[in-house]
Amino acid sequence: MGHSDGDHERDDLSADDSPWSDGVWSEDDEGSLSFEDSGEGSDADSDGDEVEAVEESDSSEDEVAPRNTVGDIPYNEWYKDEEHIGYDQEGKKIKKRDREGRIAAFLKNVDDAKNWRKIYDAYNDEEVQITKDEAKLISRLLKGKTPHSNVDPYPDYVDWFEYEDKGHPLSSAPEPKRRFVPSKWEQKKCSVRSKLICSGGKVVKLVRAIRNGWIKFDKPKEEPKYYLLWGDETDTADNKRQGLSYIPAPKPNLPGHEESYNPSVEYIPTQEEIDSYQLIFESLRSVPAYEKALREGFDRCLDLYLCPRSRKKRINIDPESLKPKLPSKKDLRPYPKTCYLEFKGHSGPVKSLSVEITGQWLASGSADGTIRIWEVETGRCLKVWKVGGDVRHIAWNPSPDRPILAAIVDHDLLLLNAEVGSEEAQMRAKELLCTDESAPQDDTVAAAFHPSEKMFFVATKKFVQVYDLQKAQLVKKLESGLREISSISVHPGGDNVIVEAKMNPLIVPLEILRGHSSLDGRGVLDCKFHPKQPWLFTAGADSMIRLYCD
Amino acid sequence: MPKHYRPAGKKKEGNAAKYITRTKAVNYLQISLATFRKLCILKGVFPRQPKKKVEGNHKTYYHMKDIAFLLHDPLIEKFREIKVHRKKVKKAVAKKNRDLAERLLNRPPTYKLDRLILERYPTSVDALRDLDDCLTMVHLFAALPAVDGERVEVKRIRNCRRLSHEWQAYISRTHSLRKTFISVKGIYYQAEVQGQKVTWLTPHALQQVLTDDVDFNVMLTFLEFYETLLGFVNFKLYHSINVNYPPILDPRLEALAADDKASSEEEEKEEATPEADENNRKSSNLDESELRLAQLQHQLPANEPGALMHLVEESTADDADDDETKQCKSLFKNLKFYLSREVPRESLLFIIPAFGGTVSWEGEGAPFSEVDEDITHQIVDRPTQSHVFLSREYVQPQWIFDCVNARIILPTEGYVVGRVPPPHLSPFVDNDAEGYIPEYAETIRRLQAAARNEVLPLPGIGDEDLDNSLVAAIIDRTESNEAAERKKRLEMLEKQYHDELKMECEGITFSTLSNTRADNPTDAMEKDDTPSVNEVDAAKQAEKDAADISKTVMTRRKRGLLQAIEVRVHLML
Repeated sequence: MGHSDGDHERDDLSADDSPWSDGVWSEDDEGSLSFEDSGEGSDADSDGDEVEAVEESDSSEDEVAPRNTVGDIPYNEWYKDEEHIGYDQEGKKIKKRDREGRIAAFLKNVDDAKNWRKIYDAYNDEEVQITKDEAKLISRLLKGKTPHSNVDPYPDYVDWFEYEDKGHPLSSAPEPKRRFVPSKWEQKKCSVRSKLICSGGKVVKLVRAIRNGWIKFDKPKEEPKYYLLWGDETDTADNKRQGLSYIPAPKPNLPGHEESYNPSVEYIPTQEEIDSYQLIFESLRSVPAYEKALREGFDRCLDLYLCPRSRKKRINIDPESLKPKLPSKKDLRPYPKTCYLEFKGHSGPVKSLSVEITGQWLASGSADGTIRIWEVETGRCLKVWKVGGDVRHIAWNPSPDRPILAAIVDHDLLLLNAEVGSEEAQMRAKELLCTDESAPQDDTVAAAFHPSEKMFFVATKKFVQVYDLQKAQLVKKLESGLREISSISVHPGGDNVIVEAKMNPLIVPLEILRGHSSLDGRGVLDCKFHPKQPWLFTAGADSMIRLYCD
Repeated sequence: MPKHYRPAGKKKEGNAAKYITRTKAVNYLQISLATFRKLCILKGVFPRQPKKKVEGNHKTYYHMKDIAFLLHDPLIEKFREIKVHRKKVKKAVAKKNRDLAERLLNRPPTYKLDRLILERYPTSVDALRDLDDCLTMVHLFAALPAVDGERVEVKRIRNCRRLSHEWQAYISRTHSLRKTFISVKGIYYQAEVQGQKVTWLTPHALQQVLTDDVDFNVMLTFLEFYETLLGFVNFKLYHSINVNYPPILDPRLEALAADDKASSEEEEKEEATPEADENNRKSSNLDESELRLAQLQHQLPANEPGALMHLVEESTADDADDDETKQCKSLFKNLKFYLSREVPRESLLFIIPAFGGTVSWEGEGAPFSEVDEDITHQIVDRPTQSHVFLSREYVQPQWIFDCVNARIILPTEGYVVGRVPPPHLSPFVDNDAEGYIPEYAETIRRLQAAARNEVLPLPGIGDEDLDNSLVAAIIDRTESNEAAERKKRLEMLEKQYHDELKMECEGITFSTLSNTRADNPTDAMEKDDTPSVNEVDAAKQAEKDAADISKTVMTRRKRGLLQAIEVRVHLML
């Protein structure tokens, strides 16, 4: 509070800076200030009182005794509403003076140059004039300086101690341990049991933890280590291993004869090995401990947890079992095995073959533009037609009494009188045949005669065309719906046409017959069975026809 | 755009998403490598082989699902707790806070593996299927020296011994031992338990040396799992024959097992067996285990609450047993064995009762002594036998093993004291598949055949006679075979000669003959010893054709497969 008081005064001083600098201090101002102070609170007054007391003790106390005798009481409070301010030494009331107004105070200040040195003494209710020295003293004090100007607050240090031959008066010893460990009093506070653990210092915490059962001192109860882990094993859904598929580790190899302590002699590879290691022990008592036992156990452990395991599909099939079982060749006899005859005459690859129904004649068409008729048994060439085009397919009339030959040459279909067989047959054939005919546009693949009617079928890659032989014109065009027709045959009754698409036929292979040499990538171009005998005709690209017999 | 560009926000796919390298897995799980290893061992997680190794060829890959499987295991949290606990103890010790350290050490965080076992082996048969490694490991550790201060705790070794004895007692009691084999590494046993063939190896009963080249952390982690597994399997097996588990043994024995330093006991033993003066500790160990095994076997049938019930069950159980068990049970039926001091007692004490024999041994706790009149065989493994009882036969231990493998009582001729016994053959080898039958295997086979015909070979001279006659028979047979072949060849030559003579008479020249030969190559082969080059080619061609014919009929897929196989075979050659 004293501080704040000082502040006020300083404020005042600064406010009245000009009078101060002029050396004029308005007493009136001071008086008004002290009034306000007295109005504010007792503390400030007591402060002021103190200042006064100091003043008194310094100068005035001895000379002038204070008039008022009420003592150190809050007289501002108690005597606020009274007419007097206290009592003098005789016990008479001291009357309060009349207040002078502000204007009067101002006038006083203007009139009297020394007015600024007058201070209102609230205790005695009178104005006191301070001397100049006193004013100076106060101003020094207010500035925070020493009261007397001749006092030096910071005199030079005079070292009065002697350091020579004296130990250092301060100790550099570390802090003693007792500063850190709990005191005896602290330890006493714990119960007997918790004394054991009190050394940590968190006594109260520990005690609480023990009381609440957070810290247990008894050893945990031993439960039975083993029990029936696998109860009933009937429930299969529950007994499935969870997670990824488990690959059991491969089992270690089982020992062979060679690992025996007493193996047969043949399991010891060489004499050197017998010499270098003792692999045979003549009796069980001489077998030493196996020094690699631990190492091998460890290796197995490593294998178990470090080796990646994966399921490998190993095909363990006997390659023989893949091959289909074929019927015995003996059961399928007779079949053509060896080359019996070679029909030579063509100069180009033989494209097509056809055997007459009786089995006596063989017709062949070649890329050199010739059609030849051979006698099967002798291999003699009976007849040659030069058709002047690539003969693609050739077929005999299935009825033996009309020996007519159909040939597809480039885009034309030719019907030829074979001029074989009896006279009568030849005559009939002549009757039948009139002219050639322009053929289908598409590539013809196969051709066939109707067995009983005068019809002729030509198969192209997609269609089957039916010609009337007598009228020599296209009668019908059958759509097969197949992608590629490879051959055609007519039912012996003549009602149905069978069209064969290119697919895998079921054939039992018997024998591989070799004989033809291949020419620019083409080998055998056509083969036909003999209608009656187990013979086979083959047409090769090497312009030869071969007959294979049993 | 780079080749493996993956747009932001799109998930990884394929092998990159499915597989994770080990380092990444460890980081992902936020554990140390050692913990990861331990976790993998306990959970049975193993690396996988991805089709495409995205991160590089030399890295180990784990399946992401496996790692997720590890991530969700409570064990991870337990391991962390243990780590924290260890730190706490360390700190307490460092602060000299002995009370705290003691208190912490009293209650370490523990974990149990039973849940893991059920997870890995949902049924007991699954567990039996994977028991081989477990048994081998437990038996190996049972053979390690139980000495304080070694890398393996004594407690663990004792536990291994106990578990292995319990297992052996069960096998012996149910007569499910099938094959035995003494190898250099130790003794192999094969038993058939609930239809599963379980094979294990026990080291020779000698002190093993702890080597430095193995990582005991890994082995002990495996052992930890195996111990638990074997305990539970034993429980299940004992439960199946209505016996309490763990079996309660003689308290004295238990005490012995619990406290090795029972010096007074040891001293007593020393007095009892003055011969065993070389290695006191070892002998006590051995004795203890043998005693335990014997007691276990003795107790197993008798542990039944009602003896009558037990008898009934025994008889019914007999019917239930398959033929092999019956055969095994009665192999040594009326025989009484006595083991000398130097033979491997533990193994024989296991095998002989497993095949129905009665056995006693030299030492404390033996059921009958050496002077018993009823003893039929004494197992001896020493160069000479000084005192001989005429009423019994002295054989080497290998005889037992060979008898067990052959399932007949072999003649003791070759196994008498002081002789080098016949070769000990592995019962795990299928000689027929191998293509070679050792001589002694052949002998045993003949003896087996003889035993099956109930024409038991006479002991002693009879056996040798049998051998001789059989050998003679074999020689006879081979000789007669050779003679017949020779005769046949001669006949053929003669016939060929006659044929040719006939043809010559008919006027067929050699040139025409060679022509016909081409048609009939096989015939030509027979006739001519040195066929011309063409003919050889033709024959080869024919052979090849014959092979190719069936190929042509195959579907394209099968043909491809066949070609692949052929290529592989070719490469392997």
